[in-house]
Amino acid sequence: MSINVSGLVDWQRGHIDRRIFWDPAIYEQELERVFARSWLFVAHESQIEEPGAFVTTYMAQDNVIVARASDRSIKVFLNSCPHRGNRVCFADSGQGRQFTCNYHGWAFGLDGALKRMPKMALYKATPGFRMEDWGLKRARVESYKGLVFATFDEEAPSLGDWLGDFRWYLDAVLDVEEGGTEFLPGGATRSVMNCNWKFPADNFVGDIYHALWTHLGGSEPTLGRHGGVIVENERSWQVSVNGHGWEFNDSFLGNAATMGDREMLRYMKSRQEAITARLGEFRAKMWGSVASANIFPNFSFLPGYFTFRTFQPKGPTKTEIHAWTLVPKNMPDDIKDRFRRGSMRTFSPSGLLEMDDGENWEHSTAANAGFVTRNQRLCYAMAPEGELDDDSLPGTVTLGQLSDANQRLFYKKWAEMMNAETWQDIPLEKPAAPAEAAE
Amino acid sequence: MSGAAASAKPDYSTYPTLDRKARRAAAAALLAMEGGGAPASAADLARIEAFYRMEARLLDEEFYDRWYDLLADDLFYWMPLRENRFRRDNRPSLSADNMAMFDETKADIAVRLGRLASNLVWTEDPPTRHVYLISNVEAFETGTTGEYEVHSAFVQYRNRSEHDEAQLVGRRRDLLRMVGDRIEVAGRLILFPQSVLLTKNLSAFF
Repeated sequence: MSINVSGLVDWQRGHIDRRIFWDPAIYEQELERVFARSWLFVAHESQIEEPGAFVTTYMAQDNVIVARASDRSIKVFLNSCPHRGNRVCFADSGQGRQFTCNYHGWAFGLDGALKRMPKMALYKATPGFRMEDWGLKRARVESYKGLVFATFDEEAPSLGDWLGDFRWYLDAVLDVEEGGTEFLPGGATRSVMNCNWKFPADNFVGDIYHALWTHLGGSEPTLGRHGGVIVENERSWQVSVNGHGWEFNDSFLGNAATMGDREMLRYMKSRQEAITARLGEFRAKMWGSVASANIFPNFSFLPGYFTFRTFQPKGPTKTEIHAWTLVPKNMPDDIKDRFRRGSMRTFSPSGLLEMDDGENWEHSTAANAGFVTRNQRLCYAMAPEGELDDDSLPGTVTLGQLSDANQRLFYKKWAEMMNAETWQDIPLEKPAAPAEAAE
Repeated sequence: MSGAAASAKPDYSTYPTLDRKARRAAAAALLAMEGGGAPASAADLARIEAFYRMEARLLDEEFYDRWYDLLADDLFYWMPLRENRFRRDNRPSLSADNMAMFDETKADIAVRLGRLASNLVWTEDPPTRHVYLISNVEAFETGTTGEYEVHSAFVQYRNRSEHDEAQLVGRRRDLLRMVGDRIEVAGRLILFPQSVLLTKNLSAFF
């Protein structure tokens, strides 16, 4: 029996029942109806450039292998042997020709197909046994400008329909330079937080408001007393498409400035004209501005720092953060290294800014142990300055980055997916991206 | 780093730092430390151990200004990420060009201390309580007079609020420099065994 969450999420008024942040039954339903249906980020193409290269990661709590097959296509499959269920790959990344289970030695190819096992003749003589029935379960795989997504849901729409017009905005970080992007080397920073996964996701989808208070101390050393970060509702926006959201201003390098590296800022300014020519003035200014974004449900990034992260659910009150840094491939090596250090020193478990966040999300979660506490609703009511109802920008566009608009739309999508029996009940916005979108 | 200094923003660009080439060289030197040199004299080892006891106490008791003064101007302070890789994997397991948890010069440490001194860091107020244990100290001479390669292990217990605790356990490789009657930390490689940090942050020094 599924839980109808309509009474828990009043997205129009912005009243959210705290039950969605602690209830194990809600969490189980999320695994089925949100995560197992969504296109989930699994890798950047640059992590697995050559045939045989692989990374392991999670799609919600399902461990998967993301591998570059011999034909250079990218395959994603469950990291669990269909024989007794053991993991078949224990490395985070590497290079190989096959994945061999430690338990009985069943071996699988780069496409997940079962290739051989010890004493194979015994299976050959087993009536009805067919090798092709016992491969590692494969997911659907699609990419958008270097970012690889996967889903195990055969009914899900295409990645293009899922991202919709959010792609037009994504180009402001994924398509700023010729040659595409890459993740900086060395794997992901990974850390555990005792919080519900939705607190960090809703923070990134539309909460710049917290930065004014949470990050005062973190931004003080580089930007001076009270941070120096300018967050106003003048010349700033929130945009939302299918529950994905981005809040931003037009400062071009407002986020980047908090890393306190003048050489990096000088370089970014030197690229502004070319990026403007490529993306147009509006999107060019989004590149490093004061901003945050989340691709529904749990894949977030910060323009300017270019930290990309997944908030991997590990239970109703536990989340693992996996973070990488994305840069244009043709960025000079020295500037890439400045972004490596800059993003790590701000947004990693030792980061000057990220260190401020975890405690908030943990205690927002832990407080719900109290029966009376958990029956208080949370306030996501802050109104935007207004709506932009002409067609100049795609998606649902609200004026002013200081509001709860994107977060309400995130929970609207969440509730739609939680309540839906099938994909027929999940509305997606029809793409209508303006013609100037970069190819 | 006193509270009074917080009203004026220090110009961190004037603080001691290292360029990329120097950081890479420092990382290579730390990675090459395998305890191959002559063991330090008993007297020098005793001085080094006493130094570590003092350093641990300064950090436990938040005497950050005094701790900062123990750092050499050419400090390279590094906690690389640990990845799970097969033994057959021929990539170098640690590289100065990879993502790291700490990848710091002395100026970078100063920024971190500036954050703490701002009195605006709510997650350290009320303060976290730390107990820092250093053990397994081995010191070796290097090719440079007065510089020592020192290996040690640490346990850093921390506790804040009510049930919030973590035990951060690891190894360190230090390049220590004896300057007159002082000891300075010139290089520190922190080898932290967790590939997934099993706590929410590394709001601590090692």
